Amino acid sequence: MLLVNCSDNDTDPVIADGAINKEILTNASVNVITATYKELYDNSVVLTTACQNLAIDDEAALTAVKNAWIATRAPWEKSEGFLYGPVDTEGIDPAIDSWPVDVNAINNILSSSQAITSALLDNDDARGFHTIEYFVWGLDGNKTASQLTTRELEYLVAAAQNLQSKTQQLYNGWLQSQGNFANNFINAGQSGSIYTSQKDALLELVEGIIIISDEVATGKIETPLNGDNGAASPQDEESRFSNNSKLDFANNIRSIQNIYMGDFGSVQGKGLTDLVASKNATMDVSIKAKISDAIAAIEAIPGTFTDAIFNNRTTVENAQQKVAELKVILESQLQPLISNL
Amino acid sequence: MNAVLKYPFLAVFIILLISCSDNDSEEVYEDLPSLEDRLFAGGQTTVFLTSSNSFSTPAPNINGSDLADHLDGDVDFESVFVTAPASINQGLGTIFNNSSCVSCHPRDGRPSFPANINARSGFFLRVSLPGQLENGAPIPVPGFGTQIQNQAIFGYQPEGKFQVTYTDIVEILSDGTQITLKKPTYSLIDTYIPFPGNALLSPRIGSPVFGLGLLEVITENDILQNQDINDTDGDGISGKANYVFDAVTGTTKIGRFGWKANTATILEQCAGAYNGDMGITSYLKPIETGFGQSNGEDGFGDDPELADHILQRVALYCKTLAVPAPRNITVSNVRRGAKIFEQLECAKCHIPKMQTGPSAIAALANQTIFPYSDLLLHDMGDGLADNRSDFLANGNEWKTRPLWGIGLTNVVNNHTNFLHDGRAKNITEAILWHGGEALNSKNKFKQLSAKDRNDLLNFINSL
Repeated sequence: MLLVNCSDNDTDPVIADGAINKEILTNASVNVITATYKELYDNSVVLTTACQNLAIDDEAALTAVKNAWIATRAPWEKSEGFLYGPVDTEGIDPAIDSWPVDVNAINNILSSSQAITSALLDNDDARGFHTIEYFVWGLDGNKTASQLTTRELEYLVAAAQNLQSKTQQLYNGWLQSQGNFANNFINAGQSGSIYTSQKDALLELVEGIIIISDEVATGKIETPLNGDNGAASPQDEESRFSNNSKLDFANNIRSIQNIYMGDFGSVQGKGLTDLVASKNATMDVSIKAKISDAIAAIEAIPGTFTDAIFNNRTTVENAQQKVAELKVILESQLQPLISNL
Repeated sequence: MNAVLKYPFLAVFIILLISCSDNDSEEVYEDLPSLEDRLFAGGQTTVFLTSSNSFSTPAPNINGSDLADHLDGDVDFESVFVTAPASINQGLGTIFNNSSCVSCHPRDGRPSFPANINARSGFFLRVSLPGQLENGAPIPVPGFGTQIQNQAIFGYQPEGKFQVTYTDIVEILSDGTQITLKKPTYSLIDTYIPFPGNALLSPRIGSPVFGLGLLEVITENDILQNQDINDTDGDGISGKANYVFDAVTGTTKIGRFGWKANTATILEQCAGAYNGDMGITSYLKPIETGFGQSNGEDGFGDDPELADHILQRVALYCKTLAVPAPRNITVSNVRRGAKIFEQLECAKCHIPKMQTGPSAIAALANQTIFPYSDLLLHDMGDGLADNRSDFLANGNEWKTRPLWGIGLTNVVNNHTNFLHDGRAKNITEAILWHGGEALNSKNKFKQLSAKDRNDLLNFINSL
């Protein structure tokens, strides 16, 4: 079997697949990844505006902020299947998704006399999604607009502006007319790309989706579910103030789906699925089914995740199991298939 | 929150990697070394990865309970610490350099030289007064200790800010290629109290953390075999082991870790990093780094802040990260590069092969490994000198860096900044910074043809 790859005939599968590989890599990096970051940035602009429009006692405006936060959170969670490149090397992940919330730092900043600006927050972990979430929903998820203070409003606007600037940096990092990290994928195997072959770039895509499937199963679900010596540990739940965790997890699986299918928004491009289907149609069908099953099982958890880890543990365990099964097929079947190209 | 990589890869594609050789006619008349016995760079801890995760997977041969601890340690390595009091991860600072392990060791690899030297990054300055303590350690600067924390929790003042200026050094290769090295000069500004004018500064940047457990269990005898303190063989290369105070045992031990081999064990290295870099106390380093300083105490009396088992499993995590295999080892220009690596005497310090001895972690014991380091101190010349001694390491001496995985730096960390402060922008610059005992090698490098230089770089990048 191994000698086949070294044979002297003209049907080297890597060369034969070069065109389709390039199509998959281009589509994934431009139409999925860069497009996800564009949506993240665009929605963060809306979030900033919503925060600027917020006033004490204005419950409708607070609802608008909450909706804008949820809308911005979605593309971020849909990006966690590809946490390589600028999000990592430019320190953007800790800037926008730092967790746990540094409540004391927030309180110290609020009680200081300093003007709270995006620049002030730039060198601090007390910013990003979860800091904004904390202000908008409160520790117990029941914050009202009447409880807001002037200083909190000032902080909220600064945090939203900071988030917007970091998401813009992230989007620009991939954008072909700017940082062009996408080029590493589009021209994988050529000089100027960090990937020395198309296979290496495809493996990056595959490993990225394996990692997030593992993270959801054995981290994001497991730790709140069993983190207290086998009992629920609610303080380990990431988006617990907003009760957005179920959607976070489902969107993480959708990031797998988007990379695998090559689809995002209205674009349906070439994805890993096309490569897999041409080599092992059964595997392709199985992977798609595992993706759908995982999303369905997460969405089938009744009520909030915080409640479910105490009162509907079986449904949470089922979702965890489905995500774990997705991870297994990606790791034991998809990864070897790409490695053997 | 960062995703965590925790899936082991099995080494199932090895034969494929070595079976497709790309020999060309040069091999017919050149006696090229075979590199195939170096494929398992980390022995049985080797993984075959070429992605951004190449430094981030557990050794495939670790047992179940070590794997469970490794995976928990992976989460701990990414944990972000926050201002005390808090329900989890409490105790950041008051003064610190960064808030998590991974922020200075991104993807278990190297941070780039920071674009803004005072933003949170993997860079900081060590400081000390001239001279040494009785046990050989550097003398702390009163009010500053031995490391400058340039960050502080809100409401506290950092110890100071860093400043860097550059002087150009032009190197001209024999074929006329001109390369301009930027020599950094560092200073401290905006210190919270006056900083003594005679104090010494030495820059540091984070380094990769995979394969460390293997280096920890190379036997002392094996390391000492390569010592030649007085250069009795007259090759211009000495090599000296550092002997350092080990806080774990309270005794003097051979130094293996850190840029000047000033730390004996990974456990102590981890405890030192928690304490010095993040302001997190542990049973090994129970006193806050800013103790007694006006900016150094939060008054919570919660020390040690880190549970003992977390420190231990983070150390285990670093010990059991897999070593990535070299790539393209049958390609003839890579093999030519390996030959040039020998001819230039790079391999006299970057010794390819080492052997591990016994280990409490079975996966690490008795492995034949290829770190490309002798773990010894060498005089690297005035250009690199920090002029700050650290136990037996004098101001010109640095420990030979392992080269394993170096060619994956770009794909893992998206940069190629090397050396103790990240000053070299690529491998060529890193070579040209070599001086002292390595001056002959550097001069021979400058004499190489472009083809030979490229082959040498191809070889180094295959590691």
